[in-house]
Amino acid sequence: MKSQISNAMLLAIIINIVYAKAIGVTQGIIARQAGGDMWIVTIFSTLFGLLIMSLTVLIIKRTPEKNILEQTKLLVGKWGEKLIALLMFTFFLGAYGGIMITVVYHLMDYFLPEVPTYIFVALVTIVGVYGIMKGVEVIARLAVLGVFSIIVLNILLLLGSLDYFEIESFLPVLRNGFFNAVEVTKHHNADWAMATLMVAIILPMVKQKEKWMKYSTKALILGGGFILMWPILEVGVLSPEVAGQYIVACMQMARSAEIGLFVHRYELIMVIFFAISALIQVMMCLLCASISAKHIIGGNNLNFLLIPVAVILGVFGYWVVNDHIRAMDLLTYYWPRVAMPITFAVPIIVFLLGFIFKKKLTKGNLDAPS
Amino acid sequence: MKKIMICCTFLSLLFCVGLFGKEEIDDLAMVMAVGVDKAENGEIWVTAQVVRPADARGDAGVGGTEGDPIWTATGEGKTIFEAIRNLARFSSRRIYWGHNAIIVISEEVARDGIVDVIDFFTRNNELRMRTWIVVTEKKANEVVAVKTGLEVIPGRSLDRLFRYSPIVAEAPRTDVMSLSASYIGEHVHPYLAMVRLRSRGVDPENPKEFGSIPQIELSGIAVFRDDQMVGRLNPRESRGFLWFVEDVGNAIIPLSCPDEEGPVSVELRDNRFQLTPNYKNGKVSFIATVETVTDLVELGCPTELEHSEVMEDLESDVAAYIKKDIEVMLEKVQKEFKVDAIKLGRAFQAKYPQYWNDLKDDWDEIFPEIEVKVNVKVELNNPQLLENPTRKGKD
Repeated sequence: MKSQISNAMLLAIIINIVYAKAIGVTQGIIARQAGGDMWIVTIFSTLFGLLIMSLTVLIIKRTPEKNILEQTKLLVGKWGEKLIALLMFTFFLGAYGGIMITVVYHLMDYFLPEVPTYIFVALVTIVGVYGIMKGVEVIARLAVLGVFSIIVLNILLLLGSLDYFEIESFLPVLRNGFFNAVEVTKHHNADWAMATLMVAIILPMVKQKEKWMKYSTKALILGGGFILMWPILEVGVLSPEVAGQYIVACMQMARSAEIGLFVHRYELIMVIFFAISALIQVMMCLLCASISAKHIIGGNNLNFLLIPVAVILGVFGYWVVNDHIRAMDLLTYYWPRVAMPITFAVPIIVFLLGFIFKKKLTKGNLDAPS
Repeated sequence: MKKIMICCTFLSLLFCVGLFGKEEIDDLAMVMAVGVDKAENGEIWVTAQVVRPADARGDAGVGGTEGDPIWTATGEGKTIFEAIRNLARFSSRRIYWGHNAIIVISEEVARDGIVDVIDFFTRNNELRMRTWIVVTEKKANEVVAVKTGLEVIPGRSLDRLFRYSPIVAEAPRTDVMSLSASYIGEHVHPYLAMVRLRSRGVDPENPKEFGSIPQIELSGIAVFRDDQMVGRLNPRESRGFLWFVEDVGNAIIPLSCPDEEGPVSVELRDNRFQLTPNYKNGKVSFIATVETVTDLVELGCPTELEHSEVMEDLESDVAAYIKKDIEVMLEKVQKEFKVDAIKLGRAFQAKYPQYWNDLKDDWDEIFPEIEVKVNVKVELNNPQLLENPTRKGKD
């Protein structure tokens, strides 16, 4: 892909790709496993995300014109490339299941319980494909709008919840232990992994490589801040027990918020303002899965792969969300086991390969077509 | 590319075959208040107060056709959901919970257990989590059916009763969210506001019959162990209770004049409450500190004393009164109910997490024996508009 986006657009995409799932479904799982420490878990996880993001940017900076898969090919050949591409496709396939849980359960459980599940999955996937066809620049511009939506949503929710905030709910800090808090980060780490692995693929499309590190770091800090407000309010307003009681904790938060007599029930406000973030997640996940699939197959034309990949991801997403119990079991117990090794292994392996096969990253090799 | 985009567009059209799950507003029966009772045969009896939009237009109901602004009906069933579904047997519209303002539970149901009420109303996606939830000592259907307050729709009046309840500070503002949190929460127990019917309204057509129209008033607190009500606190005990669980508003303290007969009213203005746990030699104790800034709002005796002297004397009376509120409440909650609804365990856990694991399993046994020392500091320095007490100017 020869599309070029600015660093600010990259920042917006990173914030959006994490936000929608991280504030609700992920926080519900974290609340069940870490209780009142959920906000600390979110901070720890953002720090992990920062670390992996920095490593990813360092990796791509070695070959600024090539994404992580092309760099792997350069380092260890096409079978290495295919292996890493398969891992990344597996990751984005699983991530799509989590995204579908976020999107479908927000809409179906709170607004349209009578609508068949496949309608949500199919429509969201079609919109995702449409977005990719419009190009990364269009998605990136939408993501900038998404950041404004996120800010508006956060401010509205803050105003509607502060009256009920109880600082006592935060004590004692680290009530379930430091190591438990670190362990539970795996759920939010999987969200940040969507950002880091996406950056590993799309960073060559971003202009001004000297600003990559600055903007990706900034995105992590800003995105982490936007997300952190939610567990803080969920602990202080809902209580960790109530937040953990629900599949979509953020909707419960929205359902409890009100400003005076006339502005209450934030569910619709919530869906309106988080929709862009959810769509960016869908689009970028589809895009990254398609690029990974292209590297597995070895083809050149991404457009031919979009529909088959969308069908695979859509069918998987439908299978996941069609059963609430299965969806939450997969997301809580199985997804971290798949996502965590890929999240950490892919950048670390490629980084180490770059050290071992330093000579292959010479100027002559870099200029060769991938 | 264009072909694929056209395909996508047509594919999306396939899904636009109608509006799934649409609800027309004139197909909905909007519930404004709901009561949960137990029938004689043990079944659940749900009473819904439904607004009749045609007769409830405008603030005063002006403009509507002749008729009652509300329609109240009951349904019976083995479960709450079945009882509500049975309302549909005769309701001409679909029951809609999105605007429900209050859930009233009869004491009989509350004493048997309300886990089904908590579950049903938190699981229901239509209901607001900030819906008030209260207990009434008699039948909930009587409370739901009565016309009370200034609003055209009684459910609205009940909603506003709770929105402005801090000015009497005799009942907590309990909603579905707070009930759910205290029921699910570890080592805390729920409490709910109580309401009752009292003949307080005056019939304008027959003013001689003073207080002949029943109105709903706040009447204390129902204390629960898990989901079962174990007892109730009267309004004065409730005020003592409120210090521990939420902000105490502008409550009025009724006192007597310092040196002569006559009533005095002091209004609490700026209140602070601090609960400090202590753990020494394996013994748990607490210090409850109340600091309040108050106003003198009524002095019904023509005293010769200056305001400053009167207020100095009254400060200790106010402090004693507040202290008594808390002590009588503690006596009842600790010794009679033996239920930690005032969150002492939570406060202890927050300060001493290292000891909490050793104590938490025995907390129910420890709680009644815990010593709670009450300190009250009162500052009374505002006589409002008057420079001197009201006294006759003649010799």
